[in-house]
Amino acid sequence: MKNFIFSFLALLLLPIYMMGQAQAIKGKVVDSSGMGIPGAIVASSDARATADADFDGNFTINAKPGDILKVSMLGFDSVSVPATATPMTITLKEAGDTALKEVVVIGYGTRKKIDNTSAVSSLKSEEITKMKVSNATQAIQGKAAGVQVTSSNTPGGTPSVIIRGVGTALGGRNPLYVVDGMPTDNINNINTNDITSYEVLKDASALAIYGTRGANGVIMITTKTGKGKMTIDFDSYSGFKSALKKVKMANSEGFARYSNAAFNDPTKFSLNQPINTNWYDEITRTGTYSENNIALSGSSESVKYFLSAGNYQEKGILNGTDYSRTTIRSNNEYKISDRLRLSQNFSVTSIKNTPKPLSAFTTAYRQSPIVPVRYANGKYGVPFVNNGIAAQTGSQFNSVGNPVSAIDYNNEKQQTVILQGGLKLDFDITKSLKFTSQFNGEFYTYKQYNYVDNLAIWLAADPNRVVDAYDPKSNINTLTRNRDQYFNWNLSNYFTYNKVFAEIHDVEVTAGIEANVIGTREKLGITRKNVEANSNYWALDGVPYAANVVGYTDVALNQQKLSSYFARFQYKLMDRYLFTGTVRRDGSSQFSEGNRWGTFPSFGAGWIVTKENFLSNVKGLDLLKIRGSWGRLGNQKVPLNNQTFTSGLNYGPDSDPGISVDSAVDPNLSWEIVEELSAGFDIEMFNNRLKGSFDVYDKNTTNAILYVLPYSTSGLTQRTATHVGEVSNKGYEIALRWDDKINDNLSYWVGGNFSHNQNKLASLNNPSIAPIVAGNLGNGQNTKMLDITSVGQPIGSFYMYEYAGIDPANGQMLYYNASGNKVAQGALNEVNDKKYVGSVLPTANYGVTLGLTYKAIDFSVDGYGTGGAKVYNGKKAQRFSGENVEASLTRDFWTSTNTTASNPAPFNQVPVASTYYLESADFFRINNITLGYKLPLKEEGFINYCRIYVNAVNPFITQKFSGFSPEALGDGELVTGTQGVELDAYPSLRSFVIGANLKF
Amino acid sequence: MKRLYISLFILAGLFSGCSDDFLDVDQTDKIPVDIDYLNTDSKATELVTSIYNQFLSWDMSSFGWNGVTSIISDDADKGSDPGDTGSDKDVLDALTYNASTPSFESVWKANYAGINKCNQALNYLPQLDKVTPALRNRLIGEAKFMRAFMYFTLVKGYGAVPIVDRLANIPLTEEDKAMQLTRKPVAEVYDFIQKDLAEAADFLPEKSTYAGNDKQRVSKGSAYALLAKVNLYLKNWQAVIDNCDKVTGYSLVEDYSSQFKLEGEFGPESIFEINGVGSPTSDQKLGIGNYSVSQAPRGAGGWGWGFNTPTQGLANAYEPGDVRKNATIIFRGSVLYDGTIVPTTVTNPMYNYKAYSSDFSNLEFTDTNLRYLRYAEVLLMKAEALNELGQTGAAVPLLDAVRKRANLGKTPAVSQADVRTAIWKERRVELAFEHDRWFDLVRTGQAPAAMAADGKTFVVGKHELWPIPTFFIRESVGYSTQNPGGY
Repeated sequence: MKNFIFSFLALLLLPIYMMGQAQAIKGKVVDSSGMGIPGAIVASSDARATADADFDGNFTINAKPGDILKVSMLGFDSVSVPATATPMTITLKEAGDTALKEVVVIGYGTRKKIDNTSAVSSLKSEEITKMKVSNATQAIQGKAAGVQVTSSNTPGGTPSVIIRGVGTALGGRNPLYVVDGMPTDNINNINTNDITSYEVLKDASALAIYGTRGANGVIMITTKTGKGKMTIDFDSYSGFKSALKKVKMANSEGFARYSNAAFNDPTKFSLNQPINTNWYDEITRTGTYSENNIALSGSSESVKYFLSAGNYQEKGILNGTDYSRTTIRSNNEYKISDRLRLSQNFSVTSIKNTPKPLSAFTTAYRQSPIVPVRYANGKYGVPFVNNGIAAQTGSQFNSVGNPVSAIDYNNEKQQTVILQGGLKLDFDITKSLKFTSQFNGEFYTYKQYNYVDNLAIWLAADPNRVVDAYDPKSNINTLTRNRDQYFNWNLSNYFTYNKVFAEIHDVEVTAGIEANVIGTREKLGITRKNVEANSNYWALDGVPYAANVVGYTDVALNQQKLSSYFARFQYKLMDRYLFTGTVRRDGSSQFSEGNRWGTFPSFGAGWIVTKENFLSNVKGLDLLKIRGSWGRLGNQKVPLNNQTFTSGLNYGPDSDPGISVDSAVDPNLSWEIVEELSAGFDIEMFNNRLKGSFDVYDKNTTNAILYVLPYSTSGLTQRTATHVGEVSNKGYEIALRWDDKINDNLSYWVGGNFSHNQNKLASLNNPSIAPIVAGNLGNGQNTKMLDITSVGQPIGSFYMYEYAGIDPANGQMLYYNASGNKVAQGALNEVNDKKYVGSVLPTANYGVTLGLTYKAIDFSVDGYGTGGAKVYNGKKAQRFSGENVEASLTRDFWTSTNTTASNPAPFNQVPVASTYYLESADFFRINNITLGYKLPLKEEGFINYCRIYVNAVNPFITQKFSGFSPEALGDGELVTGTQGVELDAYPSLRSFVIGANLKF
Repeated sequence: MKRLYISLFILAGLFSGCSDDFLDVDQTDKIPVDIDYLNTDSKATELVTSIYNQFLSWDMSSFGWNGVTSIISDDADKGSDPGDTGSDKDVLDALTYNASTPSFESVWKANYAGINKCNQALNYLPQLDKVTPALRNRLIGEAKFMRAFMYFTLVKGYGAVPIVDRLANIPLTEEDKAMQLTRKPVAEVYDFIQKDLAEAADFLPEKSTYAGNDKQRVSKGSAYALLAKVNLYLKNWQAVIDNCDKVTGYSLVEDYSSQFKLEGEFGPESIFEINGVGSPTSDQKLGIGNYSVSQAPRGAGGWGWGFNTPTQGLANAYEPGDVRKNATIIFRGSVLYDGTIVPTTVTNPMYNYKAYSSDFSNLEFTDTNLRYLRYAEVLLMKAEALNELGQTGAAVPLLDAVRKRANLGKTPAVSQADVRTAIWKERRVELAFEHDRWFDLVRTGQAPAAMAADGKTFVVGKHELWPIPTFFIRESVGYSTQNPGGY
């Protein structure tokens, strides 16, 4: 028991150095094979001193002989031995069940995993750096049960994360990231190699300590610190990327045949075309990417240091898309006195990005293959047809642009610099009581330009145009420049008290206060016309530009403040009965007075059943822990509650603008509240070789926000955000893993997880809900809706006509109307005939992992899949008269002689949104295959570690979807936008890299 | 432990002592609703200016409004290409519209949005103690006039409508809900309009006291002229005469056509006029959105969408020599006053000249104004009232004054009935495309015959009133029902 408490304390107070008696006890910490254990922690609570073992495992600690030394190291069982005056040799046994001896980061502290009553998925650095991606969140896809990550393959893109379902329609649904104590919205600025642990807090018991920001889950990122002898760690890789799946488009012959049928003109396009352009190939290239990281770390008596620099470069597969990120990080921890430690972390990230319009992918899909990229005279190809073949003159047969010229004429650059840093002071007031004060800040600055060569674009749209014919009133070119910056900060002060009473009552109390400010975001934008073509001369000194300014924006977004109190009580009785209670009280500046403050409690309980006598002798069962929790969380990222004057149109020359009020606010608008009940168990069996956990949860958003429409006669034209409904998420998560070591040379593991979530809009209590029509295809068709009829449907449901097959008489598509009859497009009723036909979000997702280590070789494979989601083939549904079609369509379409074809007769009109274009998004993908080899190097050598590896990211996929990627993130808006619709989408990519990791 | 509690207590105390102030964040991206902000002469004026702004909006004054006041009548056809319906202009033209016809929805919403702006102004203005009292009174008068004007539009078009005369509480009380959803009898709406106008007349100054840009604001004369018109609809003939007599300081301008050009804006004949100001870009929304371009000549050599075209019936209604014909109708192949040639290749034979803007002809925001009340109409209203009261002899000179300006001789009509018909016809040619014809036809009972003459069927008992928009019928279940006639 005592052992346990000591080890817990030692871990908790891990970085503390304390001066003891003025006698040096020397010794060496070794593993079972006699090798020194660098970085092992030697602590004596009697002497109130700690020391770290050096690189060879040697340590010196100021203690008296006879003082109990507690020696611990991650991955080993801790031991306690009395100090001796003679040099000691302390042997640590490797821990069998490291997973449950691990410490997990929870809000405002850490907890031994076995004592934790909440659901936390914890990933260590090796798991997230194995897969070579730019954002750590991408690397956890499929690795944490209950955490659904949707990839973004654009260079520098942000993956979407949903933890235990979506509980909001209009509010933010992204989790809160807490990076070394700094709450932030994303981790695009964090170098994955700098991360030491990545923890996902999933249940209300863990999340309630984050109050109004906890409802979507919290991801805790901890960056590295130095330990032991100075080490230089160098990691470098490079590789290439290509589309995981391509869509085969019709060639010129197929296009001509299909289009002739559509136009009902067999000679419109010649079947023998001189040009056969593969537009997709014309706008893409093999992407390349590389990353170099160097880190210097170590520790001495008074300081732990970590300094790293990293650079990530990617040339995207879409021509011209370049992305580069440079990061510098310095994390230091100073021991100021025996009782006072100061930690400092600071990072600088500079991101440069040259985006190109993703609409080029849709344009490439739609543009006809008979059009050349360029004509012989160098002018861009346009969809003109003359005598059946593409020509510089003739009749225009579609209104799609030339995707190559669209990319060539897109001239945009973005640059972001993010500074993040913090200071943390830990002060041991007494042995049991610690005070922590932490300040973090984040400064963001962004600049961008977009240069549009209007004249060149006008000329490129028709090869017959000449400069003289250009409308002199139109802009020759247009330059838009934007600047954006903000400063956010966070200050928290808290006490941690930890003591064991009467040997069986282990109590830890954390209590504190926090202030958080999301600073004013200042956006400045200016649009000028007719600037110099040379970008060097866009900002000349002494030139009055006012006459050329065509647009100007200057916005200062409202500051947002949060003021909070929080407390957590953790209690362990007899080493087996666990109880946690937390409460947070948050005040938010976002809401009206009287609705600002909210209280978020949670309770968790656990029972380590295997510590009971009746289970202690059960063979094969090493651990069984049962957990249960309840808690209340908030989501304050909801539509704002500010009633404002609107500035109307101007009236009359030189007159004042008009002002009035055209909205009503709900005085009771506040955060959305989520209540969650959850239970689970952890199990370890067969000498800890089999580990598993199972969780069930029932999450309910009790007051989801939607817009309601004021009555028309109120004259209020703005919708009012108000609490109107309930959103339910129910699900379960299973994780299992088998680890075994067959002999000293060979060990292996195999694991998997599965999670299921049932999401639905449970109720709506206001009939005046303003319908949210979304999933817009840009051609008048919409694919989603949320209104009063959506009750019972998942959030983010598709809403469209149900396809009923082909009319054998004429090859037209038919649809079911409300009464179940098959009717043609023109006979459909927008209000009555559309149906809810499935959700954007999967109901299940699963991951598998397996790997082995044989001597110096390591090998691992990870896979990920989802089930139950739908994806809308938006680019296909957008196809219009005279545009290209997929090759499969040209091989089998309805004709008067082929009336049983699987595809309708060629048509020219805009098809209505229907399930004809809705496909299953189920897929299973191998996310990662890694093979590494450690060179046999001597530990004393200059280079003492070298691992060479090859890594394949997303090498294989099996998918039902006929498009590029079933993970259609769209604009990332589930309810109000195009998530789940593949349109203007970057394809999923496969990449292969080779790299090496060296340590000096 | 004790130290813990003490420290916590102190920290908590320090923090909470200022935390409510800490959470008071000043808004920087929107102006919050705040009396202090409004409490100056200029801001108070802006509150009322916003009501005039409402009349520059597309929904209030442009495409749909033309549809439900002109295209629907015998003065105008849909125009444009046969295949271009202008979303619902075809069914308006054919009198085959229903409760979901968009133009009835947009006109309803736009007028109630304007009424809200009046109610907002009338809610705040009395609370603004730092505003010059005379100005505050004038602004209250303007808001009441505008509110009455919009209710007059609603009651003429839709019949019984909810009277929303104040801001509702948030959230709505049952009383507020009843106010917003219960259609009030037509008589009650007219009483409300007259009460607003009487108060407006008290508060408003004479037009002559306005200088500069204030000329566009309503005056005492506007209130009396509108009161006269309201009473014309109520057939309170004596009240029409009394109010017309109070409209003083106005005169007919010599050149009829000048009133529809930039040079004639706010001339001596103008009583209530919406001011459009042209701009080369769409950023400054100073004109009536797409009012001119939607009615401008379409097709080869044209510059607009070509809707709301004059009917042959209207062209034929002008007597020979009437100068108003060529001031009202653009004929295909003619030359406009600014020298613009309308080629013979344009789609339709006639277009609305009163919507033409010389300087901004094809742009979204032009300098075209809407004339809602002119002194010529005051003369015709008084003539009509006198005639109805049997004072036909007194009525005829007023009618002749309007005819004389149009280069026409004295009216040949003598009998009361003939003079009545002559006045009605005079209203048609004098006020064509000034959004009056449809209401005039319904008011005077000429509609069935006039529609028949225009080749369409006016269903008595139905078409006197527009359909109440479907969305209102849906939201007002239990409070209100649809107009008769089977909409």
